[in-house]
Amino acid sequence: MASMNSPDENRLPKPFKDGDHSTFERIVQHYQDKIYNLCRYLLGNPQDAEDAAQEVFIKAFRKLKDFQPEASLYTWLYRIGVNTCFDHKRKSRPEPFKNESLAETLPSTEPSPEGQYQSKEIGRAIQSALDQLSRNSRTIIVLKEIEGLSYEEIAEVMDTSVGTVKSRLSRTREELRSLLEKKV
Amino acid sequence: MRCAKIRKQISSYIDDQMGSDEKKAFSGHLRNCPDCREALKEVHAVHELFTSAEKFSAPYGFTTRVMANLTAEEPSRWWALFTRRPLVLRALEVSFALIVFLTGLHLGNRLTADKGPPAEQATIQQFFSLDLFQATPSDSVGGVYVALAEANHEK
Repeated sequence: MASMNSPDENRLPKPFKDGDHSTFERIVQHYQDKIYNLCRYLLGNPQDAEDAAQEVFIKAFRKLKDFQPEASLYTWLYRIGVNTCFDHKRKSRPEPFKNESLAETLPSTEPSPEGQYQSKEIGRAIQSALDQLSRNSRTIIVLKEIEGLSYEEIAEVMDTSVGTVKSRLSRTREELRSLLEKKV
Repeated sequence: MRCAKIRKQISSYIDDQMGSDEKKAFSGHLRNCPDCREALKEVHAVHELFTSAEKFSAPYGFTTRVMANLTAEEPSRWWALFTRRPLVLRALEVSFALIVFLTGLHLGNRLTADKGPPAEQATIQQFFSLDLFQATPSDSVGGVYVALAEANHEK
């Protein structure tokens, strides 16, 4: 998926496994936007997203020993990311999602106030719909539609089969269709 | 093909995950079913909406903060080397260090004891005795009085 000159996409370099900071720093730089974006959509606000994304990389550094060479690095990071976000959500507060927060930070490049208003409305609709989904449905839709992962990659991240991903994604899209019908 | 089955296939159609025969049957049904056409249109709109959602970038200085947190919480290299060893080996190492320490302590005491009787030392009582102080210094009124009294006594 993601092109990577260095470090290697699918194989963890040995110095990284040994806890080499400079190699790990390159990995953080390469994946920081993807992991932050994932956390942002799963948690719904910038502060929680940054805390969770930081935690993802710290956990990754600590769990280097557990990394299986046959797994790909970014799906491993995504898996830590998904679990961290839901742990974070459980620990932080009962209602962590803020319907307004995403909408407020949607692209501000629209020249006209109408464009900005529309963009905010879209952001609000997306976050509001995500908030109403179950944990698995939200994860699957963020990984597929927003992060652009394939069925196989999602199955790896969520530790499930491709068939389950397919059927769950189909159900979630139907659910979103009915949720967004009145909003967009 | 029934509409319920078609609805379940919409997602696979959008992601281009259908075989050619399956796709042919699906398209054939859509031509004759306005409800399923509408459903496809709506699910596709949902797909478009989410794929065009804003992609957020990590805040400025994110990597630096991660690396700083790692350095701050990382234990020293010696401690890391120690904790990576098996528990039995660690217990043996601690026991050995304790034995060396206690043996050194014991030998040190023996060597000090062999140096002969300890030098005479002032007792605490002597050290803090009031005799250390002169009650009537010669240049004080009391001192002059005592000197005169002693002179009279000698006479």
